[in-house]
Amino acid sequence: MEGVSYQRFPKVKIRELKDDYAKFELRDTDASMANALRRVMIAEVPTIAIDLVEIEVNSSVLNDEFIAHRLGLIPLTSERAMSMRFSRDCDACDGDGQCEFCSVEFHLRAKCMTDQTLDVTSKDLYSSDHTVVPVDFTDSAGYDSSEQRGIIIVKLRRGQELRLRAIARKGIGKDHAKWSPAATVTFMYEPEIHINEDMMETLTLEEKQSFVESSPTRVFDIDPNTQQVVVVDPEAYTYDDEVLKKAEAMGKPGLVEIYAKEDSFIFTVESTGAIKASQLVLNAIEVLKQKLDAVRLSEDTVEADDQFGELGAHMRGG
Amino acid sequence: MGLKQEDLLLNNNTNNSNVSEMPVDKQKLAAPIKSAVDKFQLLPEFLKVRGLVKQHLDSFNYFVNTGIKKIVRANDRIVSGVDPSIYLRFKDVRIGEPSMTINAVSEKINPHTCRLSDMTYAAPIFVNIEYIQGSHGQKTRLEKNDLVIGRMPIMLRSCCCVLYGKDEAELARLGECPLDPGGYFVIKGAEKVILIQEQLSKNRIIIDADKKGNINASVTSSSEATKSKTVIQMEKEKIYLLLNQFVKKIPIMVVMKAMGMESDQEVVQMVGRDPHYNAVLLPSIEECAGVGIYTQEQALEYLETKVKRVMYTGPASEKEGRALSILRDVFLANVPVRSNNFRPKCLYVAVMLRRMVEAILNKDAMDDKDYVGNKRLELSGQLISLLFEDLFKTTISEVQKMIDLVLSKPSRSSALDPSQFLRSRETITFGLERTLSTGNFDIKRFKMHRKGMTQVLARLSFIGTLGYMTKVSPQFEKSRKVSGPRALQPSQWGMLCPCDTPEGEACGLVKNLALMTHVTTDEDEGPLISLCYCLGVEDLELLSGEELHTPNSFLVILNGLILGKHRRPQHFAVAMRKLRRAGKVGEFVSVFVNEKQRCVYIASDGGRVCRPLVIADKGVSRIKEHHMKELLDGVRTFDDFLRDGLIEYLDVNEENNALIALYEGEATPETTHIEIEPFTILGVCAGLIPYPHHNQSPRNTYQCAMGKQAMGNIAYNQLCRMDTLLYLLVYPQRPLLTTRTIELVGYDKLGAGQNATVAVMSYSGYDIEDAIVMNKSSLDRGFGRCIVMKRYSAVNQKYETGASDRILRPQRTGPGSERMQILDDDGIATPGEIIRPNDIYINKESSIHTRGSRVSSESLPDSAYRPARQTYKGPEGESCVVDRVALCTDRNSNLSIKFLIRHTRRPEVGDKFSSRHGQKGVCGTIIQQEDFPFSERGICPDLIMNPHGFPSRMTVGKMIELLGGKAGVSCGRFHYGSAFGEPSGHADRVEAISETLIKHGFSYNGKDFIYSGITGCPLQAYIFMGPIYYQKLKHMVLDKMHARGNGPRVMLTRQPTEGRARNGGLRVGEMERDCLIAYGASMLIFERLMISSDPFEVQVCRKCGLLGYYSHKLKTGICSSCKNGDNVSTMKLPYACKLLIQELQSMNIVPRLKLSEA
Repeated sequence: MEGVSYQRFPKVKIRELKDDYAKFELRDTDASMANALRRVMIAEVPTIAIDLVEIEVNSSVLNDEFIAHRLGLIPLTSERAMSMRFSRDCDACDGDGQCEFCSVEFHLRAKCMTDQTLDVTSKDLYSSDHTVVPVDFTDSAGYDSSEQRGIIIVKLRRGQELRLRAIARKGIGKDHAKWSPAATVTFMYEPEIHINEDMMETLTLEEKQSFVESSPTRVFDIDPNTQQVVVVDPEAYTYDDEVLKKAEAMGKPGLVEIYAKEDSFIFTVESTGAIKASQLVLNAIEVLKQKLDAVRLSEDTVEADDQFGELGAHMRGG
Repeated sequence: MGLKQEDLLLNNNTNNSNVSEMPVDKQKLAAPIKSAVDKFQLLPEFLKVRGLVKQHLDSFNYFVNTGIKKIVRANDRIVSGVDPSIYLRFKDVRIGEPSMTINAVSEKINPHTCRLSDMTYAAPIFVNIEYIQGSHGQKTRLEKNDLVIGRMPIMLRSCCCVLYGKDEAELARLGECPLDPGGYFVIKGAEKVILIQEQLSKNRIIIDADKKGNINASVTSSSEATKSKTVIQMEKEKIYLLLNQFVKKIPIMVVMKAMGMESDQEVVQMVGRDPHYNAVLLPSIEECAGVGIYTQEQALEYLETKVKRVMYTGPASEKEGRALSILRDVFLANVPVRSNNFRPKCLYVAVMLRRMVEAILNKDAMDDKDYVGNKRLELSGQLISLLFEDLFKTTISEVQKMIDLVLSKPSRSSALDPSQFLRSRETITFGLERTLSTGNFDIKRFKMHRKGMTQVLARLSFIGTLGYMTKVSPQFEKSRKVSGPRALQPSQWGMLCPCDTPEGEACGLVKNLALMTHVTTDEDEGPLISLCYCLGVEDLELLSGEELHTPNSFLVILNGLILGKHRRPQHFAVAMRKLRRAGKVGEFVSVFVNEKQRCVYIASDGGRVCRPLVIADKGVSRIKEHHMKELLDGVRTFDDFLRDGLIEYLDVNEENNALIALYEGEATPETTHIEIEPFTILGVCAGLIPYPHHNQSPRNTYQCAMGKQAMGNIAYNQLCRMDTLLYLLVYPQRPLLTTRTIELVGYDKLGAGQNATVAVMSYSGYDIEDAIVMNKSSLDRGFGRCIVMKRYSAVNQKYETGASDRILRPQRTGPGSERMQILDDDGIATPGEIIRPNDIYINKESSIHTRGSRVSSESLPDSAYRPARQTYKGPEGESCVVDRVALCTDRNSNLSIKFLIRHTRRPEVGDKFSSRHGQKGVCGTIIQQEDFPFSERGICPDLIMNPHGFPSRMTVGKMIELLGGKAGVSCGRFHYGSAFGEPSGHADRVEAISETLIKHGFSYNGKDFIYSGITGCPLQAYIFMGPIYYQKLKHMVLDKMHARGNGPRVMLTRQPTEGRARNGGLRVGEMERDCLIAYGASMLIFERLMISSDPFEVQVCRKCGLLGYYSHKLKTGICSSCKNGDNVSTMKLPYACKLLIQELQSMNIVPRLKLSEA
């Protein structure tokens, strides 16, 4: 087995890139790689989220745990997260989450003085670190900024007050979903659609039309000039087999052939806003690399055998 | 599909055609007339005027406005037995505003303060009286107004309640939830409902067969004066009367003769001259003649010998006519006898006989006891009125006794004031309060002894609360294994919910009212009687026996009383109905022509179930498009529909004369009525189920039971309440797939569940037996998170000695202080503090001087108190929080302190969840989101359900709910799934849903292409995935899990205690033991049954075999019967065995142990 290399050189082609959205192709690799990337993006890319809440005054309708839970779920800008320490390995503060290396302090003071209901939102959270603030959605989305006042935490009526101190820490999505930077990470196999042109030509225009309409998503269309069925958007295909069934029903099996390309994936990444979608992917690769490093490092050590058992021997090519 | 869509569109157009002027469309003109007027809007309107628990409110209002006045008017005089000229007369009675009197100051109260401070929400009963005050011959007539004779608990939202007619804002100000239906009482701070009682209707002839197959005709009579049961029985071809007051059964002909019907011919004429009838009667006539009874005197003499001897014998003069008085007052008590004219009674008996003979000749003529038309529902108003009548009469007799006592005293100093006795009476207040709070109606006067009539209103979920108000509980015992009363009766249609009944012993007996059911209250008979005579009813008095059953006439029976006969029954019925529709007689009066019995039954009594229906003339609905438009515009109300004769209430009997079409389109020329909406046959609980008509029927029944256990919101004022146990959901949602009932009852505002994206697939093997797999990230984000609030209370007791408990400032240092961390300086737990097990939440000390001589509480030394700290016992390792602390004065003016302890829980393995289709399951495992399957859109399910749950359960409704929910989220419109709603547009069709799904890029069948989260490979099958509304049920592992190593033991047997609450052991029961025996694990049995239970060392005498004792002085075992220690062996025995031996010895049985070498 020695010497056989399975090394491949995956390629990434970016299709679309926005602050909180990315769509890219990942080619020349297999599902394990793609899925590892997806899993890391969801669960292991660190972000910062509120973890400790110390409530001073809470006369709102929601109870303390309720508010603490809501605060935890507010996404915070976490560009710093990769360079921060986990508070459990922080030497500076023995992990009590009080130092600047591993934690960020927030304050919230709100009191309703008028008869109008006061919405306490993420904008009312004051951070001790200007790089770690609640995510602002107003600029990226096209909403009117006066309307959008951030994420509502609680509503207060006259006389009610909320005063608290919160400590945000670095964490990963595996521990709690609040640390997950990803709103959506998903991929699909790129479909490869072959139309049997000869067979297609035997169809009448109506038949073509009904064939095109049989797909719930718009994959095919009829060229207005040539009146030929053409593939307009292969990625819209959801592997629903509807067109294949339709072809079968029309008595033309093999009219189209659809395969999933086993080595190319189309990724869709949506971020919560904690980090940019592009950064999320890069961080994920970084984390993945670190994990592999950890494996590689342990390969040489004696403990590796204890740590990995048979797996260790396997990794060394045994 | 496309065609259907168009059809739908067209339908919409017809419904909205009044909104905009449509251009003339030829196709539309040619289309068949869409006559269906959407009558759904009537429902919200109906519920607006009626409320969900109007039956309770109406009944209570009737009692308060009419019933109580009748009772007082019937018993309005207290006359002294000593001096008859001294009397007290009640002129009027009324119920004031709810208030309470503290130190002679009357203060208005509202229900919520009563709940919080353990008070009774009651209002004073005011009477106006007139009485004679006099002493020594000088008498003056005095009047007194607004004298309080007691306090009446007030039903919430009734006309006496402060909440009556209040709008939402006013209700909120009073701390009340606007969605709360009312209809219950607040007694000593607890909410009590009087359950609706179902019983056989009174004063009606019921023909049935008893166990021996004898035909009975029975009448349960109930008049103002007496209640009795009369049975006429056919035994061995002869007919007898069975009455409690007679020692044995009496030949019926004797009874007839005793009532003056001496001629056998007349009896035969009255029953009917048909030879068949005569043949049946003949043996009875012969028997009577055989005894030699021909005249009234002879008959009465005969009866006199059969009268049951009562313990006390009344005045001799009365004794003479006992038989006659029984016949007059007890026998068929509902038929009045005026000036000893027994003829109506004779005729009544004749009618009973005729019905019996008909039943003998033709078994079909038998009455069905389970038929809803033969049932009456007894509501809170009626029950309270009975209670009040009893208490009022008791009060009167008490007052009378006191007056007599004072009057009989030879020397009186002051003038007698009868009203003073009345004022100080507490009989009524306490009687009402006690009965309502215990639920034991024990009214000797009316021979009523019933238990469990009231129940605490369960505030587990909003729906559970509503369910309580519609519950109908049966009168007879539940243990009988008969299927008849449990079976679903066709006559329950539309009146009682076919789904909502509990499982187990009460199955089919406890029922629930349907959505539109109304229960009638009593109505005055007088005007009806005179109206009947005006409409051509021939008076009974004027009819001869022969004429009674002439073939061309029908008897007219009003509330079980024969009025006479009518020659044109249909004409008469139509006229009566016309008058009812015109509002000339009450809207709940029912007119029922029974062709088989040749009778016209008119009913105006209370307790009948009825429901509104749209009237149709020759199959054409009276409600037209413009009526509904007026309704929508708010210029027409439900009552207007009723008043204009477009809608009427039909009771179960009258429904038999109607031909009711389900939909307007299905009406034929014979149709007389049209249903308002078909889904109203279901009740409140079953109304929550989407597409229930696609489910297997028991599943709906299961959901009805489970919906009451679902956590969610209780009421808008839920956070201001102090319930003993409160379960709340942190993020409750409104179901994506709603029904009309949900909107009508307000479940969309107080939901009890969350819309979870469910994937129907197998995953991980932790999903067998209905277990569900949950997504950890969903739980992190708040899915299924709940708050459990528990109340603990403490009372700062005051004792008769003047001493009282005290609450001390906690010690901040020293031993024991760590358990007092959460206490405030006042010695009471601080709200907001985290409380752990064994923390003290109140640092109380109680006085040791609880009885005896008076002491002054200030001067007591510390030694006069012993600590009575209350410690919190909650689940270990959980952080509960003191939510609120409330202090109030209880009824004994002690300081009562209530603590509400809050615990927020996230779902864990073993918590119970359920969809709305009777599909419950526990959480089997919780799995990371990245391991969960995902679609290429990025959709990841919240929970995974095993597909094996479907085939045997056949809950197709759940699948449609998933489809509809999926279409709902993708198109942004709430979809509907009302029962039987497809034809009327209250439920979306699967075809339409599929179309929506396709439009949004999903497969029409709701299945998605899914990738495995673990490998990233596509799954082999398409996965059925979409949102389903899931309920979290109150059964949680945290409250149930239990294990023990060492622990407490029972004193008597020294075996481990039983039950989780006592930290008990887990029992190796009989069957477990059998398994171990069969397996042969004898050492394990030995260990489990003795070593880990109750091992005990005993000294056994080998000689006599009795147990001895161990003498510590001699360091040896001694046999106490042999008086030595020579043959004593030591052995181990379960303590329970030793106990058994000793107990047997105490009963003169000597068990001897024979020991041998092992």
